[in-house]
Amino acid sequence: MFEPILLRNVDVPDGHLLATYRAGGGYQALAKALDEHTPDEIISLVKESNLRGRGGAGFPTGLKWSFVPKRAGKPKYLCCNADEGEPGTFKDRIIMERDPHQLIEGLAISGYAIGAETAYVYIRGEYTLAIQRLEQAIAEAHAKGYLGTRIRGSDFNFVVHIHCGAGAYICGEETAMLDSLEGKRAQPRLKPPFPAVEGLYASPTVINNVETLACVPHIVLRGAGWFRNIGPDKSPGPKLYCLSGQVRKPGLYELPMGIPLRELVEDSGGGPLPGRKIKAVIPGGVSAPLIPAHGLDVGMDFDSLAAAGSMLGSAGVIVIDDSTCMVKVATRIIEFFHHESCGKCTPCREGLNWVVKVLRRVEAGQGVPGDLEQLEALCKGIFGNTFCALGDGAAIGLRAALTHFEHEFVAHIEEHRCPFH
Amino acid sequence: MNMREKIKAAAARYPDQRSAIMPALLIAQKEHGYLPGPVLEEVADILDVERIWVYELATFYTLFHTEPVGVFHLQLCDNVSCMLRGAEDLLRHLEEVLGITKGGTTPDGLFTLSTVECLGACEMAPVMQLGDDYQGDLDIARIDALLDRLRATAGQATGADLAATVPPGE
Amino acid sequence: MPVSLKSRGEGGKKVMVRVTINEQTLEVETGSTVLQAAERLGIDIPTFCYLKRLPALASCRMCLVEIEGHRRLQPSCATAVTDGMVVRTNTPLIDETRSSMLDMLLANHPLDCPICDKGGECELQDMVMAYGPRESRFRDTKRVFHSEDIRLSPVIIMNVNRCIQCQRCVRMCEEVVGAVALGTVEKGMDTAVTGFEGSLASCDQCGNCVEVCPVGALMSFPYRYKARPWDLAETDTVCPHCGTGCQLTVGTRKGEFMRVRSKAEHGVNRETLCVRGRFGLDFVMSQDRIKRPMVRRDGALVPVSWEEAGDYLRRRLSAVEGKAAGGLASPRLPNEMLYQFQKVMRTVFRTNNIDCASRWSTPFDALGPLVAGFYTRAPLEEVIGNDCVLVVGGNVTDENPITEYLLRDGARRGQVRLLMLSARPSRLDADALAVVRVSPGGEAASLAAVVASIVAAAGEALPVEMLAKIGATTATAGSDETDRLATALLEGRSVTVLVSADLLRSPLARATLQQLNNLLQVLRVLDKGLAMQLLFDRVNQLGAWDMGVLPAVLPGLRAVTDDAARGALDRAWGAEIPSQPGADFDGMLDLCNRGRMGMLYIAGSDPLMSYPDREFVQRALRAADLLIVQDAFLTDTASLADVVLPAASYGEESGTFTNNEGRVQKVSKFREPALDARGNLAIFDFVAALRNQALRPSVQSEIFDEIARLVPAYGGLTQDQLGVDGAFTKASRVPPVGEFFAPPLAPIATDRLMLITGNCLFHNGYLSEHSEILNTVAYDPYVEMGARDAVQLGLSDGDQVVVRSAQSELTAQLKVNKRFPTGLVFVPENYRALRLNGLMRRGEYPCPVNVQKAHAAFEIATVVGVGAGPGI
Ligand SMILES: Cc1cc2nc3c(=O)[nH]c(=O)nc-3n(C[C@H](O)[C@H](O)[C@H](O)COP(=O)(O)O)c2cc1C
Ligand code: SF4
Ligand code: FES
Repeated sequence: MFEPILLRNVDVPDGHLLATYRAGGGYQALAKALDEHTPDEIISLVKESNLRGRGGAGFPTGLKWSFVPKRAGKPKYLCCNADEGEPGTFKDRIIMERDPHQLIEGLAISGYAIGAETAYVYIRGEYTLAIQRLEQAIAEAHAKGYLGTRIRGSDFNFVVHIHCGAGAYICGEETAMLDSLEGKRAQPRLKPPFPAVEGLYASPTVINNVETLACVPHIVLRGAGWFRNIGPDKSPGPKLYCLSGQVRKPGLYELPMGIPLRELVEDSGGGPLPGRKIKAVIPGGVSAPLIPAHGLDVGMDFDSLAAAGSMLGSAGVIVIDDSTCMVKVATRIIEFFHHESCGKCTPCREGLNWVVKVLRRVEAGQGVPGDLEQLEALCKGIFGNTFCALGDGAAIGLRAALTHFEHEFVAHIEEHRCPFH
Repeated sequence: MNMREKIKAAAARYPDQRSAIMPALLIAQKEHGYLPGPVLEEVADILDVERIWVYELATFYTLFHTEPVGVFHLQLCDNVSCMLRGAEDLLRHLEEVLGITKGGTTPDGLFTLSTVECLGACEMAPVMQLGDDYQGDLDIARIDALLDRLRATAGQATGADLAATVPPGE
Repeated sequence: MPVSLKSRGEGGKKVMVRVTINEQTLEVETGSTVLQAAERLGIDIPTFCYLKRLPALASCRMCLVEIEGHRRLQPSCATAVTDGMVVRTNTPLIDETRSSMLDMLLANHPLDCPICDKGGECELQDMVMAYGPRESRFRDTKRVFHSEDIRLSPVIIMNVNRCIQCQRCVRMCEEVVGAVALGTVEKGMDTAVTGFEGSLASCDQCGNCVEVCPVGALMSFPYRYKARPWDLAETDTVCPHCGTGCQLTVGTRKGEFMRVRSKAEHGVNRETLCVRGRFGLDFVMSQDRIKRPMVRRDGALVPVSWEEAGDYLRRRLSAVEGKAAGGLASPRLPNEMLYQFQKVMRTVFRTNNIDCASRWSTPFDALGPLVAGFYTRAPLEEVIGNDCVLVVGGNVTDENPITEYLLRDGARRGQVRLLMLSARPSRLDADALAVVRVSPGGEAASLAAVVASIVAAAGEALPVEMLAKIGATTATAGSDETDRLATALLEGRSVTVLVSADLLRSPLARATLQQLNNLLQVLRVLDKGLAMQLLFDRVNQLGAWDMGVLPAVLPGLRAVTDDAARGALDRAWGAEIPSQPGADFDGMLDLCNRGRMGMLYIAGSDPLMSYPDREFVQRALRAADLLIVQDAFLTDTASLADVVLPAASYGEESGTFTNNEGRVQKVSKFREPALDARGNLAIFDFVAALRNQALRPSVQSEIFDEIARLVPAYGGLTQDQLGVDGAFTKASRVPPVGEFFAPPLAPIATDRLMLITGNCLFHNGYLSEHSEILNTVAYDPYVEMGARDAVQLGLSDGDQVVVRSAQSELTAQLKVNKRFPTGLVFVPENYRALRLNGLMRRGEYPCPVNVQKAHAAFEIATVVGVGAGPGI
């Protein structure tokens, strides 16, 4: 059995309170960082650990931190991406609800490393319990001197503010989040300049996911080598997998990076619902192309999934069984992206609208010959040409469904009805 | 603290007042139930920011309502994970028992029914948000029990209580 | 204005990089975009969201190109060239992608081109022609936002269905105009451009959003359904309103005025116009035009023929031959007309009693050296390129909107440190590094404080003898703000000072100009790259000065007493010019009141409305033996005239204007003179002939040539050479004499309310009220004051208030402006019905007033009064 690291507190009663956190060794990493390490050493340590961002893109965290200019003449900011909007994903919510101090400690150490004195945690507005727990934890941490000025007798000052989202998936995209934080409509920004150089209020800014930040105290305490020994060397560490859909035991599971998808679904998740067979699995939130049942032996890490034509994304694993119509799944996913398109670029805004109209028609049995070619043409027009990854994600997801389940689409068009009804 | 003070306090967290528009709108919506034009103007005035910026945000984000909503806002997730666990049936059931279609409000102003994108609680799919709480692992029986409970709460509340929660304009 | 992407390497040298596009190689400055490089190679890349003046948005994805080493196509509008970059813009993949983007844009587009105002000049149409798919496979229902167009304001109407979301309009409104009135609501496919709560009722109404809209989404309401682009005759000309002198293009159909547009590449304005320029040219068609000549018979003006008017005028002129004569011409007239006017006055009526300002006396003794020593005749864009720009006086946002846009551009891009010193707050203050809010009339004292602060800080850097000279003159104590401003000026490598002509209204104008002179001299000694321009509110004010429409100077700004200059003109004109300076307009009125004025000749000006003492000017105009008024409009002044001569209006005769930059531009005729009106030059001929004199030359082009011959700054210019962007006058600067002036006494602190005036955004002088369109968007007559004063007086926004001075009173609606300082009351000078000059007293400005709530009876009286025409 893999011993949980990130989730070790979540089932402990009152796990969200400072006392509980401290009892489990909490805030020792912060003390260690401040007492024994310079900021640069922390950055090196995180680089060595090969920690990669858990928000979806898997960018090496230490490398990202190292892009922050040392002397900027401006304040630096740390932003925590707690917007968690990727359908199928709920890991960050559980950390914030049940173990918020783990995140705060991660924030403080990361802030120290990059030289930021202010952090904003951008939490989606629906997460009221998480917001309340995190607020309470911030207050406690302040009261006990884990946040504030001259933390633990050092020169390091650090405050954490919460910024509540108000319902827009695109705010999870890091530059759109910055615009949202600045009080604008959340739309992605041009890069360059990259946020590390010119981010929030045109100041150097690092954006990291909740789970990424939660890994940091453990790396500081236990060392980079320990971290790298968990899972594949290029993509190591403990990992939170969100399991949902047509599976017996949906829930949040912590396992090493790289475990086979099949093991996750069958062992942890208990396999398909009674009497059903798995048809496909979406391994990393709906932005990740689905994997048909025969491909489940793939390892759940950034590189293996990419090699298999999908992605780890947010590790939101959605299981789909043989009772479900894939045209319907594809339509619902595209409807989601269409609804959440920020409207900035042509291919995503206009293209997805067209795609939705065709898919809805096909699903309702009103498809016509040529619709599938049109869908393919639209995917081609969208993929690679959008401003941010939202539109891309929609297009590759649809392509995967069209490729692996073409027969279901064809059946809808030929039979003028949904074969699953 | 009154609304102005709450907004000012929130604004103190940012170096730029414009950043405080979102928190201010959340505060104002708690206060007024929804965000009609005069409230948006007031927010702009308190923060001394352009009115159009406030209007832009109030319409961009789905949690802001520029139109009144019912006392209880049932926000059922119908994204993939919930859909795979029967959210559609629940929606049909809710529409039937409330006598409204999604997006609508019951004539007594008690319930507004909406579908929403993933709530980030797929482990308890199907799930809905009701006020500040999530109601998970829903099925038809649970939904019926929940509606009964809500109607009872509303019945017990005094006229004044209800008036305080029912947004104006209903 | 290129996106500021240029960078400089060590030592300020430009760093160049090589890029290859479609096999052609080119060197460009680092920071240039692929799009800019392609443009230089003449390679066309289609764009929608890109607009030269704005930072790249890169959202439309029309401009995608292939770049070697990149997996994806890249937006050329936002991709900086790197050394050795290899780009392709002509591959099958790119053709397909462009076609695909257009296909997607057309899917929901209504394709209602036949009834769209934009049809024929629509960028989407053109782009589909060039790059689009020939047919669409879209077979579903189109999204429809609304079935009827939305009237966002009296002049702006919106069809959201046609919008392609390039966001040019919204960015223009926020980043260039600074109005932040337009915005974007909802998201994704529901995204729509609109104003707060769906209205633009309270925006600047500049229509720049309409101008930059590539499709027929934002449209001009007055032009709606009036013409098709291919039916229009287009004339390039210059806006008649303020001294910025924007270029615009007038569209007429069968000789009738239809609309104004502006071109992206030309003029100081580069596609932008303000509300006055875009919507305020319909005044030429106004009902208030003078229809026929008129003469006074039995106390009343009666219409007559030109012949009868000539006979009448000949008789009256000979009766006053022995007495003084005087002339006032409007600084809105073109150079040639102004030049001819002063020539008529100087050679036919043998007087130097000539002026071009009815609102102030021009203290040329102080102004002359300032202009001669510092005026920079160069493009504003270049002048604003200095690292510090100090704007003194006025309200540039309202008076010279396009100048303000350029200043904002500079400040926002962080290239310019903007410093403001004025009594009236302006929107630009928000982008300034330092703002000095002076008490009305306190500009001179504040400038003195700035000079003192610079001198104190610079100390050693100034020559000893200069320190000694200034030392005695700079005793004024400053404030934190004046110190901040001084520090910024000291830190700047180069400094530009922009001076509002508004400062001339004050009896302290001379002192203000002297302090400006001190400031500029100190900065020069400190080796700052210096530039100075005046911000005039009248379109050809600089031209009027250059043409010598002043009592003390001849054409070319040379003193009347300068024998050599005068001699040269005597010879050229074959006449003898009086050798002594004449009276300015104030002096002329004085002559009238003393019974000594035989003839007063007023061309295009309405002093009864604008001279700041209505009682005094009225008495004087009545006291002149013979008052001739030559104008296009029936003005208040005309109603007192003995002879009224109907003149061509702007747009009805060609000529040139010299704008604030010193740029000479062609103003072109786009319609025939209305009714019986004649060109101004023809009328001068007519009047001269009555005195048996013939003016030579007498046609516009030849007068232009004479100006080019006789006025040094215009030397060598030819009309043909003016071209689309005009040409710059060149004046060699005369080094200042090194005289320093003592600071004025600081204004005595008073708790009285002080009334000042100026132009509001929607009007310019008294001309624009003849524009029906402007009247639909302009505020009703108003009085502006700060929130604190209003509270203290128990007044609130929207109240009808009475403003009372020792002389008279007026009633208008109160506008409370949060940004106004206490003690300041502002009433725009543009509303004829208010008779603002009735409140003013000769020689006193600002004007002390009381403000109180109007009684109900008053409100009714005002409503009746507002909009009433001139009292004829
Ligand atoms: C459309 C879109 C949505 C995203 N949503 C999230 C999200 O909800 N949470 C998150 O942490 N990252 C999200 N990301 C990824 C972020 O842009 C960013 O890569 C991440 O927050 C960086 O943190 P990390 O390096 O710690 O992963 C999203 C990206 C895209 C393109
Ligand atoms: S009024 Fe002035 S700024 Fe406006 S368009 Fe005309 S010249 Fe330009
Ligand atoms: S012009 Fe480059 S993306 Fe629009």
